[in-house]
Amino acid sequence: MPSEKFFVKEDLYNKLEELSKEFEIIGPRELPNKGIFYQSLKNTRDLYLGEGFAIEPIKRFFLKPSEWIFDERFRENKNILEGIPLPADKRIIISVRPCETRGLTLLDKVFDSDYKDNFYINNRKRTIIIGLACNKPAKNCFCTSMGGSPIESRGMDVLIFDMDRGLIAEILTDRGRELFASIGEGLNEGQRRLLKEDKEKKKDLVEKKLSPPEGKELDKIFESDYWEDVSRPCIGCGICTYLCPTCHCFDLVDERRKRLRCYDSCSFPDFTLEASGVNPRPTKKERYRQRVFHKFDYFKKNFGENLCVGCGRCIRHCPVKIDIADIVDKVPGLKKE
Amino acid sequence: MIDRIKKKAEELLRTKQVDLIIGYKRAPDGVSVAPVFIDKAEETKELIWDTYCVYNLSNYLKDFRGRKIGIIAKACDARSIIVLLQENQLKRKDIFIIGVECSGIVDEKKLLSISPQTSELGFDERCRSCKPSKPPIYDVLIVQEGQRPQAPRLEKDPYGSVRKSEAKSISEKFKLWQEEFSRCIRCYACRQICPLCYCPRCVADQTQPSWLSRAHSFRGNFTWNVTRAMHLAGRCIDCGECERACPVGIPLRDINKKIEKDVKELFNYEAGLSAEQKALLSCFDKNDPEDFIR
Repeated sequence: MPSEKFFVKEDLYNKLEELSKEFEIIGPRELPNKGIFYQSLKNTRDLYLGEGFAIEPIKRFFLKPSEWIFDERFRENKNILEGIPLPADKRIIISVRPCETRGLTLLDKVFDSDYKDNFYINNRKRTIIIGLACNKPAKNCFCTSMGGSPIESRGMDVLIFDMDRGLIAEILTDRGRELFASIGEGLNEGQRRLLKEDKEKKKDLVEKKLSPPEGKELDKIFESDYWEDVSRPCIGCGICTYLCPTCHCFDLVDERRKRLRCYDSCSFPDFTLEASGVNPRPTKKERYRQRVFHKFDYFKKNFGENLCVGCGRCIRHCPVKIDIADIVDKVPGLKKE
Repeated sequence: MIDRIKKKAEELLRTKQVDLIIGYKRAPDGVSVAPVFIDKAEETKELIWDTYCVYNLSNYLKDFRGRKIGIIAKACDARSIIVLLQENQLKRKDIFIIGVECSGIVDEKKLLSISPQTSELGFDERCRSCKPSKPPIYDVLIVQEGQRPQAPRLEKDPYGSVRKSEAKSISEKFKLWQEEFSRCIRCYACRQICPLCYCPRCVADQTQPSWLSRAHSFRGNFTWNVTRAMHLAGRCIDCGECERACPVGIPLRDINKKIEKDVKELFNYEAGLSAEQKALLSCFDKNDPEDFIR
């Protein structure tokens, strides 16, 4: 049963200051003229608690953009493979948006199910997540169409609501309870009512909508020219995939006797380039179609959910304004209510 | 103005002078603009032209090699077409350039931070050091009618910011760029959006040997960003698309501008002003000041 606590921002800053002795505190920080970035906060007062959205999602603290996975060296005339030690320091990531944590719950299905990825699981275990409900979704947000909402708390330890007079924290796990044991006080009747009203209000904040395809609908138009039309403006950069809270494709590279796992993107021409020289996805059409199918077809068949949380990052940051929600919504031959 | 653009595009498609028109249309958000590719005359009514037409569409010409293409080009876009022609990447007879007179485009990132009450448009920085409002190359020119809209204030010294940065010490500059490059996510949007980055296999994608580290470290990020800029020396026409595309706000134009200034001072050369001119780094001059080359 979740419990709630009320405190003011000042209390939170002080609490984080205290916690920073034991935990690494990671949170969004606004860099002037650059945007909002999750960073390890040396000064907890740099923490951004506004309405904006970080450019990169928290994915990079769990599935790192590049990760050394083993080290090969010669010792006593022997070739030795050594694993890279897993970091053990504990972290708190704070002011995380609901869509980003939902992204993690989708990544869990890939990296912590039949296949157990030690790096990812270790990062998950050592991190406490404190979310921040959205007061003002951006015009590209469409989380409610993807099963999320501005107040969704899945995957979080604590979810904070920024009310006019202070903050209300919904404590969701034991880890969260322990963390917030000595801060703030329980809600009175009025605050409880305010929170309830606030939650109701926030549910309807998101204006952008799309109806995701159902069942095998996408299968039928795999060969359609539609994909060629919609992928024409695509310039083939990695922005949409790298900034996506759920995209997780990676490449393995050997560098200086070490093996590196780093992000890769289905929009790059050499993503599926085979050693023989054959590329099964030779043009933008096949590459963009793969992005849509992985998100709205293959993943759904394998794991029962769409691989999209509707955070709108790929739309917001696309240099040529490709709108995946619009493209999926207008897929020809889809049933419309 | 837009009516004449539409009419010309429609005529080009109807008379089969071109197979495809590359232009601008309204994006699904209703405000901003997206590139559009039109091959049917009746679809030319989708075309638009306003200060949100930020893209340098000449980047798409390489996708349609060998086909007859009509393209809507601002002054900066036309300059990159000139470089592509100089470098034999395009055949002049294959492209029909609908030149448009431009009075500056907006900086969408800046617009987000300006309140709707302010009347001043958030022009892109790149427009403040752009001299021509008319493209240096075109097949038909569509000019502004009536009263000209307010244009961005031009910088007195287009290299003012470069001079400021040159005055800093090496360690200061290094620290600054270390910070900037630390945010690089290696999405290669700067490369992909650049009309002049057309190598079939980029040095960054080569693995045997691998020229730069794929690790998201300063070393790899620095090598990538500097390599990109140096490969555009004497070629970059400062359309600023790389900086616009960069999702993490690295001021790539500052590097490009520095190289542009060096090229101008050393060789008195500005890229993309005339198709008859030879490309700077692929020509030989008997009067070259350097001994080793003569």
